[in-house]
Amino acid sequence: MNEDLKKTLLNPIFKGNPITVLVLGICSSLAVTVQLKGACVMALSVIIVTGLSSFVVSLLRNSIPNRVRIIVQLVVVAMMVILVDQVLKAYAYSIDKQLSVYIGLIITNCIVMGRIEAFALGNKPIPSLLDGLANGAGYGMILIIVAFFRELLGSGTLFGLRVLPASYVPNNLVILPPMALIILGCIVWVQRSIQKDLQEK
Amino acid sequence: MNTNNNVYTIVYTTIIVVVAAAILAIAAMALKPKQDANIKAETISQMLTAAGFASKEDLAKQGNDQVLAMYSANIKNAFLIDAEGNKTGELETEGSIELQDNLKQENKNIASGNPSLPVYVFEKDGAEVNVIPCYGAGLWGPIWGYIAFNADCTEILGAYFDHESETPGLGAKIKDEAWFREQFKGKKVNFSKPDDAFNIVKGGAPAGDDSAVDAITGATMTCNGLDAALDTWFKAYIPFLQKKAGSAAGDACCEDGCCEEGCDHEHNHEHNHQEG
Amino acid sequence: MEYISLFVKSIFVDNMIFAYFLGMCSYLAVSKNVKTANGLGIAVIFVLLCTLPLNYLLNKYVLQPGALSWLGERFAGVDLSFLSFILFIAVIAAFVQIVEMVVEKFLPALYSSLGIFLPLIAVNCAILGGSLFMQQREFLNVGEAATYALGSGIGWWLAIVALAAIREKMAYSKVPAPLKGLGITFMVVGLMGMAFMTFMGISL
Repeated sequence: MNEDLKKTLLNPIFKGNPITVLVLGICSSLAVTVQLKGACVMALSVIIVTGLSSFVVSLLRNSIPNRVRIIVQLVVVAMMVILVDQVLKAYAYSIDKQLSVYIGLIITNCIVMGRIEAFALGNKPIPSLLDGLANGAGYGMILIIVAFFRELLGSGTLFGLRVLPASYVPNNLVILPPMALIILGCIVWVQRSIQKDLQEK
Repeated sequence: MNTNNNVYTIVYTTIIVVVAAAILAIAAMALKPKQDANIKAETISQMLTAAGFASKEDLAKQGNDQVLAMYSANIKNAFLIDAEGNKTGELETEGSIELQDNLKQENKNIASGNPSLPVYVFEKDGAEVNVIPCYGAGLWGPIWGYIAFNADCTEILGAYFDHESETPGLGAKIKDEAWFREQFKGKKVNFSKPDDAFNIVKGGAPAGDDSAVDAITGATMTCNGLDAALDTWFKAYIPFLQKKAGSAAGDACCEDGCCEEGCDHEHNHEHNHQEG
Repeated sequence: MEYISLFVKSIFVDNMIFAYFLGMCSYLAVSKNVKTANGLGIAVIFVLLCTLPLNYLLNKYVLQPGALSWLGERFAGVDLSFLSFILFIAVIAAFVQIVEMVVEKFLPALYSSLGIFLPLIAVNCAILGGSLFMQQREFLNVGEAATYALGSGIGWWLAIVALAAIREKMAYSKVPAPLKGLGITFMVVGLMGMAFMTFMGISL
């Protein structure tokens, strides 16, 4: 059991990473990677939403009518997302402003629905919770890596604090949306060079 | 239990939806006062920054209560004006502070010719500071800001701009870069050209132009949007600003019925003279 | 004129994929060949065009602060905007489900070519994103909302067909092994995004 739990927790972070391996949930993620702070809050929000909605759906799993399964799941996910959004508005207003519509888009983030369909519907609540949290974390990690490079190269700062000397001319290209994809491509490149079994033919 | 039964499906869905809605309604109601307080404190700290009482960063570190207290301590009065610059109502400044912060709506009202525009009068070092807002469209979403004028509204003392979703590192610099808003200090609204009373000039404002500042490199669209926003809102406020300027200058000029241009020249002249 | 401007802007400048990364999951998963990409793209245009105006009306007459005033004075102060995510997604999911059932029943030929994409669309971020942007931008009327929906749908379709075409050709290229598949696709999308950035600042 412990081995299983460990695997549930660690697998999504590297080997089965939702973004770079399963290609899930890229949608809402990249636009918030311009600054590290926003990315961290987004990562945390996704972790909470994936964890809690997997937990709740798993609790309900035996009673959900199959025909309206998707809608019930969406209602649960949407509820979690709205709660996160409301709490952010009340306690971290400036960050909520920065994330704007992307918080709402966690609802359609394929990771959340993907983990519910693939794991929570067939497992007990506690493992589902852990699976959700771990997948959220794997996703958050990629967000933070991308944001790290984009903020460092694009503004010369990290968390808003100047890191590179003032003589560094910020590379404006890195801040624009397309570079997020290219950085993501590089991350995949690095990961697949290390883990040869993931390479596609 | 047969979970595919029609009645069961409908009852189940209804219960889930009602429960979810109830939880959300409770959460929304519980957090609403806090959220509104955040929005109010945010607006007020933008005004205080424009008027030069504190920097936005310092205000963000303080709690909402301190920001509100600072507002109440320094505000003299706040009122609404119509398109002719006449006062039409007062805004509460102590206790439950009232703001006219639905700028989006007022922007529409300006276009339809029936606005109800706010003026916030602060007192700083014994002199009046008049703060007015502006609002418009940037490249991706709305942009807005607050501009502070001296007592007779002839000179800009400071400004603060914010945006919803401009490109970080480019358009977002209207908020992030202090040098951009510092430029507004000492500038004037060009009363003689109400349709184009202020300019943000790409490639650098011409030397000696009192009503122009430099645009931000790489943020042409956002700067154009801000320029248009300032033109629209200054135009709406010009009757009020001119009244203030006229009453401060006394009967020297405008009340004799001399033309507006003449009035403006006179002011410029005076100003230059003082500087010289 | 404003409609044309909004239309062109939503296709090229505010492109769902290149400017906002919306609908990326299905974008990457279903862009292996042009034919299926085309099918999904058309389905997205259709669903956006139908759900966005619907959500616009919902937002205007139910959700916005004061939107319920048509029910009477007592409701003027009600603010239901916290329910918007849940109602928007419910409208989208319900609409997709209904269309799927109707198409399956009456147009089996269309169903076999388009229908399989419909369930995918309920969780396509571009659809919900469209509604959320609509709410944020406060369009003046249903016409503007529909124009925006059509434009962003076409933008999404254009992006996926273009990527599928590139990927079909790329099958014959020599790509370093670790980059094959996903990695190079990310980069290609990034480069396409840069090309689309040249449309930025366009005004009609």
